This record gives sequence, structure tokens and C-alpha cells, in this order.
Amino acid sequence: MVLGVGGVPGGGQRVTPAAGGTRPRGGTRRDMTRRLLASAVGAALAPVAAACGRPPHTPDDGRQGGTFDETYRGRRIRGVEVRASGRAAAAQWKVTIDGRPLHLMRRADGSWLSMVDHYRSYSTPLAAARGAVDELGPDEQLRDLAPGPMGGAPEHGGGGHGVHA
Amino acid sequence: MAYTRKNVSRLTRTERRRFVDALLEVKRRGEYDEFVRTHIRYNTADGEHGLRTAHMTPSFLPWHRKLVLELERALRRVDDSVTVPYWDWTRDRTATSLPWTDDLMGGNGRRTDRQVMTGPFAYRAGHWRLNEGVTDRQYLTRDLGRARNPFDLPTARDLESALADPVYDTAPWNSTVTRGFRNKLEGWAPGRGSVSWHNHNRVHRWVGGVMVGGASVNDPVFWLHHSFIDLQWTRWQQRHREHRYLPAEPPGARDSQHGRIVARHERMPPWDVTPDQLEDMSEIYRYE
Repeated sequence: MVLGVGGVPGGGQRVTPAAGGTRPRGGTRRDMTRRLLASAVGAALAPVAAACGRPPHTPDDGRQGGTFDETYRGRRIRGVEVRASGRAAAAQWKVTIDGRPLHLMRRADGSWLSMVDHYRSYSTPLAAARGAVDELGPDEQLRDLAPGPMGGAPEHGGGGHGVHA
Repeated sequence: MAYTRKNVSRLTRTERRRFVDALLEVKRRGEYDEFVRTHIRYNTADGEHGLRTAHMTPSFLPWHRKLVLELERALRRVDDSVTVPYWDWTRDRTATSLPWTDDLMGGNGRRTDRQVMTGPFAYRAGHWRLNEGVTDRQYLTRDLGRARNPFDLPTARDLESALADPVYDTAPWNSTVTRGFRNKLEGWAPGRGSVSWHNHNRVHRWVGGVMVGGASVNDPVFWLHHSFIDLQWTRWQQRHREHRYLPAEPPGARDSQHGRIVARHERMPPWDVTPDQLEDMSEIYRYE
């Protein structure tokens, strides 16, 4: 199953907001056909799209709140912004790849990096997640990390210990 | 008497073998994986809360100096003739040059899954299984020069731009500072893509595979790289003798970096040692 391909072949570079997002998915038969087609070829084309280096669409701006859910290079990437109650600034992202939590971290300049790809950073959580996928080999999966002494590893099953916007 | 760390290109055949054998023995004893765990655990980035000791912080250099020193002690418990050599990536710059030989680090990863298939650290050689990591991969991986979108190792000129800065580090003491030796060497810079990866960071990315992740210690070239980074600190000290590790004092209570970095005389977790105590290594080791 390929979700979030967005109706465009090679749409691994695009994001479809989940329910409640700002960009409702198309509901026409033509849209449906295109989505099914995209589902069939999306995974195969995603690496090609990645190689084209198109800048990612980035609705996952921490200030807006949001989610993403897409298949990129055959991997299911999902992210959801979680806001701590009473603190508008304390936004956190929980991101998974194939259902397993990706440990995301934030740099002081507002960019993002992950434990898979630790020596560079990306402008959005989605871009950092794609960067992590780029580093994963065939059948390679993320592993849950025990919490570190510096609070730097994700809570078990929590999908990230919380990255503070 | 101080021992000597050598350029890996100057090791004799016997020295190469003894270095590799000591690494494999430290791994066999289970001690190696503790170094991997330590590096994974001390990963705090500067956009988050908490004390940073290893990356994006002034103590990047003393923290890794201590880590290399501890690995070297473990190696020397196995074989006291062994020291950690350094890889001068300004000179040995290709995927087939040193240290990527079968009697040292082994070669590049294969194209399909980036698995290293040659040398003593190849999974199939039976001595190097990755037990600690951010993924479930058990074999060592590399993608030297990044085949899909190639870029070059840092140059001597890149290194010189860091060494020429007389100030060790500057406020706000993180990955955003554009002045100061520490971050110019660590390599966080503005911009997008490979132009923003400098010196230390760029080398991690050039090696690729496990070297780009928080478990980069799983690739033994980590030590050769950080031995060379450590040498740059020594060179910087020799060139700027009136300058020292900064900050000398902890940031004040109203400073955004209060409690988040290690000042010169503060303890640097996980060890009971201060940057001040790690500035002069001349009685323990020297570089050839």
C-alpha cells in the first residue's frame, strides 16, 4: 500500500496532508485512477524523483502544525506535530519510518537532523526523514534506542523524545 | 615516556597487523561496543535542551580526544606497541588509497547494499558484527565519496581556514557560530547540500554508510579520522600559543547556553575530567 503519493507519478517528493490538513485529497474518479496508478509505480519511481533533487514541498512547518504521510523510496514515512498543552512554542515531531520511531533532533538554526544521518541537517522534519531513508539499505530498519543520559534518545515507543521548536 | 601516533601511511606491515589485531581483540572482548554506545548516547543537538558535550559544542575536541584516548588504552592493554594512527584525508583522498586497503580498514561498500566485503572488518570475515546501532544492520557499510552524488574530501586549504583562526570558539558556542577554530573544524556551516559540510563533518559524510550516523564508531576508520582531528587541535595550539580552550568560565544564569556547555574547568561527562586537563597531552602521546 502506498499512501500520500499525491496522484502524481514520482510523487515521492510530495506530501499529502492527513485528515484535517489544508490540502484535501482529490475525490474524482480521475483522481482515483491517477492515485491507483501512482500507487503501482510510486515506489519504483521514488528513487528517480529523489535523484532529480526537486526541493521538497514543506507543509510541515512547525508553526503551522501538521502531519505528513508518504512513501519515499519504498518506505512509509509518517510524521505528526505534537504540541505540548499550554506552551505554544513547545512543538514536537514524532516521525516514523515503516512504523519505527526516527530519532529527530533540532539544531539551533531551526534545521533538523536524525540519528541515522547525524553530520548534516535539513530544513524540515520531512526532509530529515527522507535523508534518513536515503541512508537505509534494503530491508534495513530503525532500532529503538534506549534513552540517553543527556535526554537525547527517544522514549520507548514514543516515536521521539520530543524536539522543541 | 610519551608514545607516538603515526600517519597511517607510515605504518610498517607489522604495525598495521598489530593495530588491526588489537582492534579485533577489543571487539571480541566486548569493550568496543561500549565506545559505540557512548557516542550514541551523547548526541544532544544544540536546538534542544540539556548539556552538550560531544557535538555542536566547545568540548567537541576534548570529548573526542578523551574517547580516542580511552580506545587507545583498551588497544594497548591488548598490545602495548599499538597507538591510534591518523588518516590525513588532505593527502590520501581516493576510495582506493590508504587506509582502504585489505590489511587496514578494508575497502568500499558494494553497490547493492553498501556492505563492506573486503578486509578484516567485513562481516563475512567473522570478527566484526555491529551489535550497537541506530538500525538493525549487522554489517559494516560504506559509500566512499557517495557514488550517487559524488563530492570530494576536504582539502588542505579547508583545514587551513580553521587552523588560521586564533580564537578557539565563540558565543553562542554552538553549530551556528561562524568564527572560531572549533566549529570551523567540526564543520557546521550555513547553506544547503555538500557546500555546507566542512572538515570533520564532511569526512564522515564522504565515508558514508555507518559513518554518517550516531553509531559512526562502528566503522574503525572513525578512530583514524578523529586522531587526525585531534592532531589539528595540537597544531592549532602550537600556532596560537597565547590562546586556549574557551569558554574559560561557564555562561551566566541568564545566558541561553547556561548549563548547556562545558567551560574550561568544568567536568565533561561521561568522564570525570575537564577540558583544561585535556589540553596538554604531551606527556601521554605526541604526533609524528
